[in-house]
Amino acid sequence: MWELAVRSLEVSAILLLAALGELVGQRSGVLNVGLEGLMLFGGTVAFIATQATGNFPLGFAAALAVGALLGCAHGFFSITLRGDQVVSGMGLWILSFGLTTFLGSPYAGPLGLGRIESPAGLPPFFVLGVLLVAAAWFLLYRTGPGLAIRSVGENPAAAEAAGIPVAAIRYLCVVAGGVLAALAGAAYTLSYNPVWNYNFIMGWGFVSLALVFFSMWNPWILLAGASLFGLMWQLSLSPELVLPGILSRYVWRTLPFAITIPILVVISTPWFRTRWGLAKPEALGQPYAKG
Amino acid sequence: MEVVLAARGITKRFPGVLALDRVDLEVPGGEIHAVLGQNGAGKTTLMNVLFGLVQPDEGALFLHGRRVEFRSPHDALTHGIGMVHQTRRLVAAHTVLENIVLGHPRVRGVLSLRDARVEVAALCRRYGVGLDLGARVWQLSEGERQWVEILKALYRGARVLILDEPTSVLTPPEAAALLAGLQAMVRGEGVTALLVTHKLPTVMSACDRVTVLRAGRVVGRLRTAEATEDLLVRYMVGRDVAPGPAGPSGAPGRRVLEVEDLACLGDRGVAALRGVSFALREGEILGIAGVAGNGQEELAQVLAGLRPATAGRVRLDGRDITRLPPVARWALGVGYIPAERTEVASIGAFSLVDNTALTYHFDPAYVRRGLLDDAGLARLTRRIIDGFDVKVPHPYARARQLSGGNLQKMILGRVLSRAPRVLIAHLPTQGLDVEATAFVRAQLREAAAGGAAVVLISEDLDEIVALGDWVAPIYEGRFVAWLGREQADPETVGAMMAGRRREWAAAR
Repeated sequence: MWELAVRSLEVSAILLLAALGELVGQRSGVLNVGLEGLMLFGGTVAFIATQATGNFPLGFAAALAVGALLGCAHGFFSITLRGDQVVSGMGLWILSFGLTTFLGSPYAGPLGLGRIESPAGLPPFFVLGVLLVAAAWFLLYRTGPGLAIRSVGENPAAAEAAGIPVAAIRYLCVVAGGVLAALAGAAYTLSYNPVWNYNFIMGWGFVSLALVFFSMWNPWILLAGASLFGLMWQLSLSPELVLPGILSRYVWRTLPFAITIPILVVISTPWFRTRWGLAKPEALGQPYAKG
Repeated sequence: MEVVLAARGITKRFPGVLALDRVDLEVPGGEIHAVLGQNGAGKTTLMNVLFGLVQPDEGALFLHGRRVEFRSPHDALTHGIGMVHQTRRLVAAHTVLENIVLGHPRVRGVLSLRDARVEVAALCRRYGVGLDLGARVWQLSEGERQWVEILKALYRGARVLILDEPTSVLTPPEAAALLAGLQAMVRGEGVTALLVTHKLPTVMSACDRVTVLRAGRVVGRLRTAEATEDLLVRYMVGRDVAPGPAGPSGAPGRRVLEVEDLACLGDRGVAALRGVSFALREGEILGIAGVAGNGQEELAQVLAGLRPATAGRVRLDGRDITRLPPVARWALGVGYIPAERTEVASIGAFSLVDNTALTYHFDPAYVRRGLLDDAGLARLTRRIIDGFDVKVPHPYARARQLSGGNLQKMILGRVLSRAPRVLIAHLPTQGLDVEATAFVRAQLREAAAGGAAVVLISEDLDEIVALGDWVAPIYEGRFVAWLGREQADPETVGAMMAGRRREWAAAR
């Protein structure tokens, strides 16, 4: 049982890291549906670099760098060129999918190095994720720059009028999102399941994306959601453990999405809006043209 | 009185346009100074120059007699000049306090909202503003939002406030409260206010001095005590504007529109219209006066067939049209001018011909075997352009290229070209300059004279009183009264649409 919990927290950590980066990016108004691709890229680059050098930190560094680069690319298309964010994100995913398959295929197989130590029996990336959630919450709600980020995502014109550099803030958030997504990918291939195979991330990027909506853009709800989704994933590997013979693993795996949809429906009802306001950043997905 | 802010010889050219032509402006301290002009007169450009958003090609700015240069809004702010934007520059999801401190230099690091709250609350007390700082902006009325904008400028240390059309989105009572508060601020605290507007009553009632711009030049500079509305109009337009024929709009004929106990739901599913009855004859104009949100929009939509009625009946020339879809009503002679010129009444990316087609696509005269008769529509569009004085290079120009006034003329012409029996005009002159407003009003009168029954829904009391043969103030989905032309003076109607609410609130 303990093993299952730790294992599911490892899954949660990966979902959490990617989703947290996406949450910050979406708070600034930029949607990146290419999360899956960024995770694939981060995971593949980290795997190759670590296997080539035998050095874990180097693998992670490589993943962070490539994440920042892809974040910049998404920023360039969606912020500087004011392109459609969904198209740019989808493009990023398809590009990453193809490119990582090409780059990673020769390395298919296990990493062949020892496992990363987990202090006090806790999965390290989950601990890191919780710390980052606390940091992100503090940043967004208790600091000036956080207020600036939220303002840029809600009403960029208002932010601009208050002297806030909209494009710069958005770039920072998107790059941070890219870095975290790549880190999540690296956590997968270096720690959770140190094997490279074709399409190893299996749609977790899209689960993370759904998580952001599920969380209503709140880091703490995101943490709870990631824990829940991680557990459900791990259960889906052996569903007979809990409810023997009732549901196939494929049904279990759709649950994160099945839960997210009713939540999206509820938060867009007039009832919810008049009570809680718009949970969704108002300028999400909209390129900002000055003036 | 010392001149606080002055501009001398400001010239600004944009490609193909001389936006400002050697403009001089002197703003004495402790006064409300109006900058008046029609759309396109250069008011906004001048304000942008004063706030550092636009650099002038020639000329200089002086603050307390000393020459200053504003390269950005930040420079203007550090010199104590604040711009009060229209309210869409607020973050709706944030609290009032968060909006006020946003961008303030002291919120670089960790937010100490507690200190800021104390300071802003002190500011509120000093200027007599009652605002809940913890409320979210989307919960506030437009009037309160405008105060948030003002507080934001004051919190950043502004002593000179530039207000850009501050009353344009406000209801009459909110606008009056805002202007009164502004006056108190100016008299009591020595703040100086520069108010950009094209509304004459605002200038006359609230401002001390006025500078009138026309086509980028200063054409008048006077104290409002010495000015009259007619005089200001002459300055703005450059000539007299015909007020249109006065008096009743002709002998009323047969009953055209009969409405009985009409009711409907609003967007949120609560009753918006709670039983309205009236009858209109040919040639009559009914002016429905109300503060936004009292059911008048829903009434217009029910009459146009865009919103289902939950009770009651609508008859056109004796025929029950309550359940007819919009297109059938168009064909029978209902014409509708929606309030949202660019969102509902026209499609910006379409040419004017295609926009005309939007009200003719069902008309056999312009459809051949299921295909639109483009040549015929183009001829029709050209007739509308000529007949309604729409300034546009050709009928295939896109609707979004038209200014507000020209677009409204186009929309009006399109509707009137169908010679409607009933014309529903919702806020037909909102945001238009004096000339376009006069034109639209004259056309409404002419439509009535031509035998149409006109339902005019407006928040502008003067418009209602000037045009309406009948005036019906609307409040919470019901007509408060049905007044004839001679009973309907602005004070009575104003009290009925707004003042009553205060009495009721006090009684509760």
